[in-house]
Amino acid sequence: MNDTPARIWLTRVVLIGLIVLSLQMTIATEIRPFGVVIQIVLAFAVAAGAASGPGEGAKVGFVLGLMYDLATGLSMGSTAMSMAFGGYVAGWGRQYRLEPTWWMLAALTSIGAAVGEAFVPIMRVLTGETGVFGARVALVLPVVALSSGLLSTLLIPIARWALAIRPTEIRVAGADT
Amino acid sequence: MATYSPGRRRVIIALALTSLFLLTLDLRGNQVLDGVRSGFGFAFRPINRAGEVVTTPVVRLWRSYREFDDLEEENRQLRAEIDGQRSAEISAQNAIIENQDLLALAGLESLASYGSVTGRLVGQSPSNFDQQVEIDRGAVHGIRVGMAAINEAGLVGKVTSVAPQSSIIMLVTDPSYAVPVKILASNEASGSASSMATTTPSTTEVVADPAQTVDSQAPLSTEGEPTSSTTTTLVEIVRETGVLRGQGSDRLPRVSFVASGIGFGQIEVGDTVFTAGGSTSLAPPNIPLGRVLNVITRVGTAGQELEIEPTADLSRLQFVRVVLYQPASEVAQ
Repeated sequence: MNDTPARIWLTRVVLIGLIVLSLQMTIATEIRPFGVVIQIVLAFAVAAGAASGPGEGAKVGFVLGLMYDLATGLSMGSTAMSMAFGGYVAGWGRQYRLEPTWWMLAALTSIGAAVGEAFVPIMRVLTGETGVFGARVALVLPVVALSSGLLSTLLIPIARWALAIRPTEIRVAGADT
Repeated sequence: MATYSPGRRRVIIALALTSLFLLTLDLRGNQVLDGVRSGFGFAFRPINRAGEVVTTPVVRLWRSYREFDDLEEENRQLRAEIDGQRSAEISAQNAIIENQDLLALAGLESLASYGSVTGRLVGQSPSNFDQQVEIDRGAVHGIRVGMAAINEAGLVGKVTSVAPQSSIIMLVTDPSYAVPVKILASNEASGSASSMATTTPSTTEVVADPAQTVDSQAPLSTEGEPTSSTTTTLVEIVRETGVLRGQGSDRLPRVSFVASGIGFGQIEVGDTVFTAGGSTSLAPPNIPLGRVLNVITRVGTAGQELEIEPTADLSRLQFVRVVLYQPASEVAQ
C-alpha cells in the first residue's frame, strides 16, 4: 500500500511525532475536558492507521509510543505497545472500505484511540502496578475516544502527508479512451 | 487493497514482542536505554520549549476562562483564613523554634538539617494514569532518584527520574507511590500517665507530656458546695505507623498496615500524618503529609485503613523543594 522509502517514512513520522509530543506535553496537559488529558500522540497514531491500514498504523503507533516513553520517563515499550495496538485496530477497520468518508475515518480513529488508551492500564498491570483500574477508566476512555475522533479531521491529512499516501485511483475500463 | 494478510499479523506480533523485550530490559535496568532516554530528553527539550512558547497564549486564555470565578471565590476565602491564622502562626513559629532547639540538644536530625533544591514546575504528566510532574532542576543540582519532594504545605512526592537539568517527580497520589508514615493522635484524657502507658501495646507509643499538664479548679462538690480540688488533664500523643500508598488522581491516598486492635491508638478523623523516616525510607522523618479524612475498619486481621487528605494542593503546584536526603542504606550503595 505504501512504497515510500523507509528513511523518508521515518523522518516524517519522527518530525510530526516531535511536534505532537510537544503539544501533548504542553497544551494537552493544561486543557483537560472533564479532568481527562486528551491524547494527541495516540490520536495521530490511530489516525495514521485509519488513513493507511493496520500495518502502517501499528508501525507509526510503535514509533510514536517509543518517543512518548522516552519523553515521559515511562518504562520503554509500554506506551509503544498500547499505541501500536490502537493504530492496528484503526487500520484493521479501514481495510473494509476503499474510500471511507471523513466520518468513517473519525469513527475508526475513535475506536482505535479507545483501544489504545485501554491498553495503558493493562500494560501497567503487566509491569506490576496496582490500582490503575478504577471508575476513572470509564470516564477516560470515552473522552479520549471522542477527542481523538474530533482531532482526526485535522490529523488524517497530516498522516497522509507523513506516510506519503496518494488518493486512491479507480480506473474503469474504457472510461479514459 | 488487501483485506487481510498474514504479513500484517506478523508486524503486530513482532512489534508486541519488541515492546515486551524493551520493557523487560528497562524494568531490569539497562544503561544503554538510560543513555538513549537521556539523549532523547536533551534533544527534545528545545522542541518542548518551543511548544510551550507557542501554546502559552492558548493555555492562558483557557485558564482565565475556566478559573476566574473559582479564583475569585478562593481568594475571598483565603483572605478570611489568613486573618484567622495570623495569631496561630505566631504560636506555631514559637513552637518550631523550641522544637528545633530540643532536637539540636538531643542530637536528633530534623528537616532543617538537610539541604534542599527548589525547582519550578515545567511540565505535567501527559498520561491519564500517572501522577507526575517535571521540574527544572536535575542531577547537576544534586538531585538523585528517590529523594523526597515537598512544598510549603508538606510532602508532594519523590524523584523517580533525573536528567542533568530536569527531574520527574511522582506525586503521592500515584498508584505506584508508597512511603512509611506515622499518625499522630493527640487525645485529651484524664488520669495518670502511668496507667495509660501500661495499657498500650508495644507498637503504640503513648507520651504523657508533663509540660502540658493543666491544673484546673473544680467549682462544685457533690453536695453542690464550692470546694477547691485539682484534676489533671493529660495530652497523650499516640503514634501509629503504616504505609501510605497513592490511589490515583480521583481517590485519596490510603494508609494501610495500621492495626485495629482494642489496645491500639484511637485514630480519629483529623489526626495528622507525617513521614516516619527510618534507615530504609527514602523520605526523612517528620514531613507533614496530611490529615486523616476517613477511618476504614476492615474485617479479620487486615487492620485499619485510613484515607488521607494531603496538605499540599497537588493540582496547583508551581514550585517544589527537593530535600537532598538519602538514607544510610542508599548512601552505602
